[in-house]
Amino acid sequence: MLVFTFRRLNLFLFTMLVLTLLSFSLSFLFPGDAIINVSGAVNATPTQLLSIRAAYQSDENLFWQYIAYLQHIANGELGISMASQSQISTEILNLLPATIELSLVALVIAMFVGIPLGFIAAIKHNKPADNIILSVSMLGYSIPVFWLGLLAILTFSINFGWLPSAGQISLLFEIELITGIQFIDILLSDSPYKWQAFGDATAHIILPACVIAVAPATIFIRLARTSMIEVLGTSYIRAARSKGLTFQQIIFRHAIRNALIKIIRHVGLQFANLVTIAMVTEVIFSWPGIGRWLIESIYQRDYTAIQSGLLVLSCFIFVVHILTDFIYAALNPLARGKKHGS
Amino acid sequence: MARDKIYSEEIFPSPFMQHWQIFRKTPVAMLGFSCFIFLIVLAIFGPILAPHSPVEGQLDMLLLPPAWHVDGDISYLLGTDELGRDMLSRLMYGTSLTFGLSFIVVVISLVIGVVIGSLSALTTGLKSSFLNHFLDVILSIPSLLLAIIIVAILGPGISNTVWAVVIVLIPQFVHITRYAVKEESRKDYVLASRLDGASPFRILYYSIFPNIIDRIMSQATMAQSAAILDIATLGFLGLGAQIPLPEWGASLANGLDLFYIAPWTVYLPGLAILFAVVATNLVGEGIRHALKLRKER
Amino acid sequence: MNNIKLTLIVCLASLLTLGCSDESILSLSEHSVIYCAEGSPETFNPQLVTSGTTIDATSNQLYNRLITYHGKDNALTPALAKSWHVTRDGKKITFYLRKDVAFHQTDYFSATRFLNADDVVFSFNRILNPQHPFHRVSGGSYPFFQNIALSALVEQVEKINDYTIRFHLAHADNSFLANLATDYAIILSAEYGDQLVEQKLKANIDTHPIGTGPFKLKEYRVGSVIRFYRHEQYWQPPAQIEQLVFDITPSNTGRLTKLLAKECDISAYPIAHEKIKQREDLTLEAVTALNVGYFGFNVTKPPFNNKLVRQALSYAINKKVLLEAVYQGKAELANTVLPNSSWAYDKTLARQEFNPALAKSLLEVAGYSQGFSMDLWAMPVQRPYNPNAITMAKLIQSDLKNIGIKVKIVSYEWNTFLHRLKLGEHQSFLLGWSADHPDPDNFFSPMLSCSATHTGSNRTFWCNETYDDIIQKALQTTNISQRKKYYAQAMKLLAQELPLIPIAHSKRYQARVNSIKGDVLAPFGGISFYQISKTSLLGNKNQVNEVNQNNLLDPGED
Repeated sequence: MLVFTFRRLNLFLFTMLVLTLLSFSLSFLFPGDAIINVSGAVNATPTQLLSIRAAYQSDENLFWQYIAYLQHIANGELGISMASQSQISTEILNLLPATIELSLVALVIAMFVGIPLGFIAAIKHNKPADNIILSVSMLGYSIPVFWLGLLAILTFSINFGWLPSAGQISLLFEIELITGIQFIDILLSDSPYKWQAFGDATAHIILPACVIAVAPATIFIRLARTSMIEVLGTSYIRAARSKGLTFQQIIFRHAIRNALIKIIRHVGLQFANLVTIAMVTEVIFSWPGIGRWLIESIYQRDYTAIQSGLLVLSCFIFVVHILTDFIYAALNPLARGKKHGS
Repeated sequence: MARDKIYSEEIFPSPFMQHWQIFRKTPVAMLGFSCFIFLIVLAIFGPILAPHSPVEGQLDMLLLPPAWHVDGDISYLLGTDELGRDMLSRLMYGTSLTFGLSFIVVVISLVIGVVIGSLSALTTGLKSSFLNHFLDVILSIPSLLLAIIIVAILGPGISNTVWAVVIVLIPQFVHITRYAVKEESRKDYVLASRLDGASPFRILYYSIFPNIIDRIMSQATMAQSAAILDIATLGFLGLGAQIPLPEWGASLANGLDLFYIAPWTVYLPGLAILFAVVATNLVGEGIRHALKLRKER
Repeated sequence: MNNIKLTLIVCLASLLTLGCSDESILSLSEHSVIYCAEGSPETFNPQLVTSGTTIDATSNQLYNRLITYHGKDNALTPALAKSWHVTRDGKKITFYLRKDVAFHQTDYFSATRFLNADDVVFSFNRILNPQHPFHRVSGGSYPFFQNIALSALVEQVEKINDYTIRFHLAHADNSFLANLATDYAIILSAEYGDQLVEQKLKANIDTHPIGTGPFKLKEYRVGSVIRFYRHEQYWQPPAQIEQLVFDITPSNTGRLTKLLAKECDISAYPIAHEKIKQREDLTLEAVTALNVGYFGFNVTKPPFNNKLVRQALSYAINKKVLLEAVYQGKAELANTVLPNSSWAYDKTLARQEFNPALAKSLLEVAGYSQGFSMDLWAMPVQRPYNPNAITMAKLIQSDLKNIGIKVKIVSYEWNTFLHRLKLGEHQSFLLGWSADHPDPDNFFSPMLSCSATHTGSNRTFWCNETYDDIIQKALQTTNISQRKKYYAQAMKLLAQELPLIPIAHSKRYQARVNSIKGDVLAPFGGISFYQISKTSLLGNKNQVNEVNQNNLLDPGED
């Protein structure tokens, strides 16, 4: 496990190096003055600009500029937004939790729907049920998510009026931003309408989370199906069968556990995919998350926000990736010794 | 058709032909394949066949519903949008933008990716390990996010979108080629030709490629469906094709304001995207299915 | 303890059914109104802006003016001043203040006294006096007042006693009282100003506002929500709703969806009017607003520094088609900046014709026979004068393509858009002007005068001394027919110089859920939520709100 941790740490450092270098070079790739791009100080007076230049060491060579940039990031200084002139770090801290919340709920939905369906398909391998599940799953990952979102709003919000169409919670409820994760904030708040707010927030998250969950769920179906078929073909399942265990015992005691471990490995990769889908969905459901904010920043050519937003988002995705690798390694001793990338 | 079986071993089909023979026996895959061919034809000839201009509208024909509706007009089969532009013509032109461009994108990134992939498969040691790590980082970032990042750097626009998607797809091809080449070169028949004294490039070209082409094709279909969705999504978000290009995603975004009074302006581009992606995926499924059957033989 | 358990059970049940229908939420939504706004305000002080979005969110909600408009004929009526007196020469104007006007009580400020003359002096000196401690706060730019050159007009704001104020003017000015009644001339709290100076938080005066209006600011999250609470000690009967929420939804479809799904009670600038009319639970209302939507040029940038090019473009654009496609034929074609309902409108003014051939030959004369390519900036939001600038831009794009001009459409988020326009980064743009008061000068000075080029409200940067001279003369004469002649000259000059091409005068639309009663829209200036109520809450208290119903015109009928 120590070697494994060391190897992951190595990869993590390497990735951070690549990501920060990339983000650092963005300020030069974007049009305009690099120092303004990185700090966002579009309205700075000449004296202010001088002090910013000194802080980012822009008279030194590129290496020292990069070191200065790293120092700023380490201190949580991501510059100010060119459009709104507010601190990007606080904006991200307010928005990222909303995206995480939405993505987690969607991930849970995708797993709870996708994995059992995949198992069923595997057990009924090559039977009609298998084919139906496979066809539906193919439709699921072919459908453009923004279109699906629109259809969902039209059907469930407008025609049936079951679920709200936009936002995290009805604006009638006054919930103070503490963690940024709406459900926790509601529980922490002292509003007299706490539980109604909780119900309302639940109603708000269902539609976007389900829309996001569609594509990952279909991938979980395929993963679960393949890994179950593989497991069912192994010798220990045959041994269990010859021991005279019932079908249910085989499935629930042996097959599911072993099949699940293989799926967990992919959760990290799927989470990254899911965050991207969430970015698009946030635009449609006016979800106050980082994806909508980032796309908005691209429209406005707010380079400072784009640069910092991308850095934070890709770091976040990578951290999740490594975390799931650890969980996988903790659950599956076989994985620890394996050489990476081979 | 009766065939003389005596010399059957003399016309032993290439792996690609074997593959095709299995593929053509799967009806669903063939259905997807014919749709795919249809889309390619439409992408090439759509601009010639389209009955109206996709950008200039008939200002006395605003928001006309599709022809089967009571208020519809047969010369505007799928209705018109808020500027009186024919939806059918816009969709046909859109085919060359969304589907045609994604096809070109896949071809370009396939060529570049396969070249880099096979070259890198021949390297070992530190360079190889660095490439491994680098590919890992790039592949762990979802393609759409990466495309958004690149468009953010290059600025919105259809040509920038195309480059972004090309750049995004290359690592996937590099990865699959590298992996496949490494796997194949461990096999005995490669060893045999190496013992014959063939150069690495000769081995690559004559021995390995024919055996991995189906895997690359399968990756290409996945890349194609991702490319269609990425181009359309960027268009929808206003980061891809700009006004007034009839790219499907951008047309859909354009119809958004008309969603409640002219829903066909949203339904039709969405259906077009869905159709193209499903057709591509069916072909991909067919290839993977054939691959599996061929291996099992 | 039992109560907590009960609530828990109720809530679990409501979680399961996903629709909370117990009494407390009903009362919460009965006392609150959600307004789907089209954009976020730039600041909470209307003195600093001319943007309608900011005015809508601030003026009538948070503040009051000394005097205001009332009724169908837009007569000046008392507000914070219970009466006023103008000397015969028109140079001294005295206001007598109400004595019972309370400021907002909030977390960040609690007033110890009622409104008095100090507050009025404080508010106007902030604009007029460069030495005022708050003059330079938030940029020191007061575009509306700079456009009308208020600092040159007002010599002194004098406090006679605690409740009497006198304005000393340099010369008589016809529009002075009208300007004081606009949404910009609000009264701030001097006591709050002193507190902020002490706390060294001067900038808070515009971000954490204190006023005397019917609502007070509770919370603002940039770009997403503004929450107002009722001002309980309002000097008139307090508003009937307790909470007013601005849900900032820039997307047109987003606002319509929220309205259809009943997630907001009132929606600004609705699209798809047919759809709203079909629904029996929704009302579409319109008010004839004094405004103009136009296509403007930055005359400091080539090729638009050439008058001939501007004229050529004006012949190349088919305004009738724009009216049909963008306004659904529900607007009037604009011939000049001034709407033809204004008394100063010159009926003899020649009509601008559509003539692409003439346009082409004009371009040739100007030396652009090969055409050129240009940027066209289209507003990202709906405004009363232009419900869909992007569509309009697309139509103009195809019109101009016919005379060989390639158009690239550019758009930014609303505040960024205005900011960049002010900096003059644009080549040409689609924008408009909504009147702040019924005086015709409001169309001529703030939009096109030289002083307005510095304040950023004249985005064409067109500065013509003859024009400035004419409109100054018009302001100083009291003879109506003489004034009319001056304005006719001004309009003729505009038709030749064409710093902008006027396109349409439109109505302002709004949609609401039927249970909301009371007026929100006004023919000019910002909206007001003071008079609205929800019917499910009030059975017979409605009479207060039905005063101005005749202002609302059903768009179906005209």
